[in-house]
Amino acid sequence: MSAHESQLLQVNIGPQHPSTHGVFRMEVTLDGETVVALRPVFGYLHRNHEQLAEASSYIQTMPYTDRLDYFNSMTSNYGYALAVERLAGIEVPQRASYIRALMSELTRILNHATAIGFMINDMGAWHTALQFGMREREKILDLFEMASGARMMCNYFRFGGVVRDLPPEFLPYFDQLMRGLPAFFDEFEQLLRDNEIIVARSSGIGILPRDVAAGYSVTGPVLRGSGVPYDIRRAEPYGIYGELAFDIPVGSVGDVYDRTLVRFAEMRQSYRILQQIRERLPDTGGGHINPALANFGKQKALRPPAGEAYARVESPKGELGFYLVSDGSTQPYRYKVRAPSFINLTPLGAMCRGHLLADVVVILGSIDIVMGEVDR
Amino acid sequence: MNRTIVISQILVIEQAPGWLVAALNHAIIAGVLLIGGAITMMLQVWVERRLIARMQDRLGPNRVGPEGILQSIADGIKMFTKEDIIPRAADRWVHLLAPIVALAPIAMMLAVLPWGRGLVAVDLEVGVLYIAAVSSISGVGLMMAGWGSRNTFALLGAMRSIAQLIAYEIPLIIALLGIVLLTGGMSLARMPELQAGIPLFGSSIPGAPDLGLGWFIFTPVGLLGGIIFFICALAEGERTPFDIPEADSEIVAGYMTEYSGMKFAVFYIAQYLLNFALAVLSAVVFLGGWQGPGVAWLADAGLGAAASLLSLLWLLLKAWGLFMLMVVIRAAVPRLRVDQLMSFAWKYLLPLALVNVASAALWVGLTEWSSIEWGNLLPVDGLAPWQRIGVAALVTAVINLGATRWVLRINRAPAAAPVVVPA
Repeated sequence: MSAHESQLLQVNIGPQHPSTHGVFRMEVTLDGETVVALRPVFGYLHRNHEQLAEASSYIQTMPYTDRLDYFNSMTSNYGYALAVERLAGIEVPQRASYIRALMSELTRILNHATAIGFMINDMGAWHTALQFGMREREKILDLFEMASGARMMCNYFRFGGVVRDLPPEFLPYFDQLMRGLPAFFDEFEQLLRDNEIIVARSSGIGILPRDVAAGYSVTGPVLRGSGVPYDIRRAEPYGIYGELAFDIPVGSVGDVYDRTLVRFAEMRQSYRILQQIRERLPDTGGGHINPALANFGKQKALRPPAGEAYARVESPKGELGFYLVSDGSTQPYRYKVRAPSFINLTPLGAMCRGHLLADVVVILGSIDIVMGEVDR
Repeated sequence: MNRTIVISQILVIEQAPGWLVAALNHAIIAGVLLIGGAITMMLQVWVERRLIARMQDRLGPNRVGPEGILQSIADGIKMFTKEDIIPRAADRWVHLLAPIVALAPIAMMLAVLPWGRGLVAVDLEVGVLYIAAVSSISGVGLMMAGWGSRNTFALLGAMRSIAQLIAYEIPLIIALLGIVLLTGGMSLARMPELQAGIPLFGSSIPGAPDLGLGWFIFTPVGLLGGIIFFICALAEGERTPFDIPEADSEIVAGYMTEYSGMKFAVFYIAQYLLNFALAVLSAVVFLGGWQGPGVAWLADAGLGAAASLLSLLWLLLKAWGLFMLMVVIRAAVPRLRVDQLMSFAWKYLLPLALVNVASAALWVGLTEWSSIEWGNLLPVDGLAPWQRIGVAALVTAVINLGATRWVLRINRAPAAAPVVVPA
């Protein structure tokens, strides 16, 4: 340091801050506006999720998984249902699998549309991009409401299927949504992709090289943005994903812009998957749930044989894994959630170092976290 | 010609002593300006919220009063009843004075603006200089707020706002300088008067009708200057994409973080009034101020009051149009980063503003001088005034266009090598 002594500034961003996406704190050390060090601090929203699950019967945990990633309750349900089905060896009928994949891909579209919107919001746009995403999200939530009765906390999945079949008004509304989606993707991309300020704010920011990303075991769009074509739907297909044709978009540099582009591309891939599902859905058989478990009492009395199981799904935010150990009783002996938001958050300090304070919130926005999932 | 409305003549208090008349005059004008300012600010908030809501597929405030137009009054009452919180570590006096120091200069700016034909509160000969000087004082208030609050976010916001104000004030004033050269004076009240006539040629063509459209924005110098001025006005008024001093997603509310209740409201009023004052200033200097079709015609027909009213409407129309443009920009684009903001001011705006001043000087030389220096090079002496304006417009247009392209090209040249990531 030269003759001018300068002092580092400690700033606590959060836990009450407009763009920490919940109760999350970043201890930032600043030299002027440049970030010298950043330490993510979380745990403010810890609510004993795993312990609660170990004190409840298996099906009682299903509604709790809605509250993990409250934007994407359908994929959280899916992961948990998959884990229990593996543990207890439950067959899932074909139609149920199709409905599950349909819900998962709708979830992915709604998550990416709002995630991009929230990130643009963190850049300082006054909610406009977010509102465009929210508009499509509302339509998808309408569909969720038709199927499950709830817009966000869906609690739609059951072991061996889903709680009820799609209502008759679902498919016409779904077709209407599908007709509008390509126009939405085009508009959204046209408005945001080549916007000069967005490009200037996001390219070269928060670069996560592919080996570093893999080292932190980051997953989801953040990992794919760094150029690793890793997707659970392809790496370890579950449900009907093995039969579906889709591409895995990857980025090249691993900066904020790449992650955004990956999300744009993934929405289009989800649309492709939805088209395939829609084509085949009327011909599927087997009902919406395994007949052996169609009765709720059967679900409640489920006693998986002693053993362990791990199941993972590609949630919109990354690899969502559920680990279960059964001792043969109606309650799991051990229950563990591998939450993508939590793991993707760990390289935040490394990504932010050397960037300006304004970039920190953008990098955080590009990771796309939900605090309900980070602190369980 | 007496441009100010002398209230005493309306009130007929001829027997009153001179100082009383003067004091009354000023008190009434100040009252009108301040009340008008407060009402304008309330309307601005409502317009902004409704317009942004429109762009975002929402409705916006629509409950209080017809179409929600009284929403700002409800918000004002709420502000009044909020607790006034002063942080324990804050410097009490600085914390208290900061909003006042921020608002007062902006109210002072309103005084010298020509609101219509013959409607100007104080006709200063150095109006442009006054505006430049007074508007900078507001920055002191922001710094006081940031420093006095003893809050890291407030401090960061204050530092950002000072850096931004200094960086953008320079091109802003240089952009004004071009017009000062064109008009040959710093009086703001005279500027609209010089923008009569038809586009580009003003009143230089004999027999052409006075449409009130001889706005400086139609000349190459005014166009470039106007664009630079408007961009700088966005930065001065802390509007998106230059709202980094109070970037809510980064530093909560910048220097306003520790303010609540009425003090916060005063900052809020100051900001909206500054936006409006800058919109009016842009309109006065570049968009002809109160000039518009019909004003001259009414004045010639002997309907002075009607002409003044129409001119006021024209000015408000332009100012509100510019304000709505600011709102639309706010709804449409994200915010720049600090370094990008600075480099934009110093690398794009400042060189262009300097070139623009040179163009303005050339314009003045071509249109007004009849010296022999041009003689062999350019035979301007034999041309009629409007022909000389045409020549000047052509020359300055080429210079300004070339300079703009050059500045954009050298600044946007790609970095040396693209980032390569091993596959």
